[in-house]
Amino acid sequence: MEGKVVVVTSGKGGVGKTTVTASLGAALALQGKRVAVVDMDIGLRNLDVIMGLENRIVFNVVDVVQGRCKLKQAMIKDRRINNLYLIPASQSDEKNVIQPENMKWLCNRLKKEFDFTLLDCPAGIEQGFKNSIEAADEAIVVCMPEISSVRDADRVIGLLYSRSITPKLVVNRIIPKMVERGDMLSHKDVVEVLSIDLIGLVEMDESVVVSSNTGLPIVMQKESKAGKAFMQIAMRMNGHPDLPVEDPMAPKSFWKKLGGKISRKNKVH
Amino acid sequence: MPNPLMPNQDNLPVKLKGVGDSLWVTFDATRPVDELKDALNKPFERLKQLAVNARIILDSGNEAPDGRLIEELGGYLKEQFHVGVVTGPPPKPRPEVSHKRTEDLGNAWHSHNSEALIIAGRVRSGQKLQADKHLIIMGDLNPGAEAIAGGDIIVLGTLMGTAVAGQPDNEDAIIVALDFRPTQIQIGGLAAAGSTGIGGSGKAPEFAKIDNNKIVVMDYIAANPFKRFAWPEVR
Repeated sequence: MEGKVVVVTSGKGGVGKTTVTASLGAALALQGKRVAVVDMDIGLRNLDVIMGLENRIVFNVVDVVQGRCKLKQAMIKDRRINNLYLIPASQSDEKNVIQPENMKWLCNRLKKEFDFTLLDCPAGIEQGFKNSIEAADEAIVVCMPEISSVRDADRVIGLLYSRSITPKLVVNRIIPKMVERGDMLSHKDVVEVLSIDLIGLVEMDESVVVSSNTGLPIVMQKESKAGKAFMQIAMRMNGHPDLPVEDPMAPKSFWKKLGGKISRKNKVH
Repeated sequence: MPNPLMPNQDNLPVKLKGVGDSLWVTFDATRPVDELKDALNKPFERLKQLAVNARIILDSGNEAPDGRLIEELGGYLKEQFHVGVVTGPPPKPRPEVSHKRTEDLGNAWHSHNSEALIIAGRVRSGQKLQADKHLIIMGDLNPGAEAIAGGDIIVLGTLMGTAVAGQPDNEDAIIVALDFRPTQIQIGGLAAAGSTGIGGSGKAPEFAKIDNNKIVVMDYIAANPFKRFAWPEVR
């Protein structure tokens, strides 16, 4: 059976696409799937750094498309996680060296070998975005609880729908305390505006920064809330679509619930 | 000058003429029945055989014909001259009554072809809807989306994007939304900045219109802008 090609996109830059791609790739591989992650951000590659594989790059996706190497030669195997491969981007080319038909060819080959091919889409909606969505079967839209991010995600969702791709939403970097204070949009506000299926809520987590710098996948850090959230998103992608999405805002203990009720009451009077 | 050979037709109690396949008999209903019968004898005697089985129409000239009188005279003619069917006059077509202000009373919506563009769904950032006249969106207009109309814009949902009504110069246009939180609105040549937040306001439906050369926003239900119209109008 052929695998799926999933594009991870957002419109806006800096919302966590690359982290989401790396984490979901690692999570799916840990769950026993064969996974390829492809960095589509040609000219500004990052995925290799986040995955801690930058020192092993010899060939990249542009080399594959232009026939300078075989596909296998450009695939970098992750040594910590079985069945996880990276195809890095070129740092010296421009986005338009790859055309949509090149992507179709590449993804058709990857689909035969991998259960999941995750494409890390560059920010924006230009050539890099068009290349990334050309061969995608599914899409994950990453959005931060922030008005500018929501607007760009909304634009991207419209473009995905226009290409008959039904996107799913990850709300990233939620800070529950700020949401409680009313200083940050809640994920409910985001979902209300974007009105697509929610596949995961990821809390702001300092260990993500540490993980990006060290190249150790966040999903391998057992204590990390974000890592746990990514594992759950991977399970939803991987045959458990009905796994409930945990609300980071929900009071966890009886005392917190009670506290919440009292503070709400006080606000009313 | 009156013709001395022709008696004055206006004074005769009974007049007769052929209309199509019938004989049209006009009589003066104010005269006594016997006089009318007498007066009928003269022309019908002249007709002789021609009157047998002829179709007769008895017309008193009144708007509401006297059925009994027609029946009696008809019976007399059948008996005396063996005429065929006798009927009253066919109903006259009602003259057109012209109303001075037909457009006020006329149900203009009966013959009106809709010029409204009705869209269902969510209008997302970067999408732009344009309508020559009115635009109705059954759904939400997201931040970054644009709706442009020659007439009114009605959003049966949340208006968060930019709404441009009454283009290019219709200052009577309004913008209505169930949840009114636009980024910006324009009516005719005027513009007004809205809010930039996301999140339900929980307010009642509101609308924007031009008042004294300014855009004002009001509670739609409380203001009820069209309540003073005497008759439903096509907009």
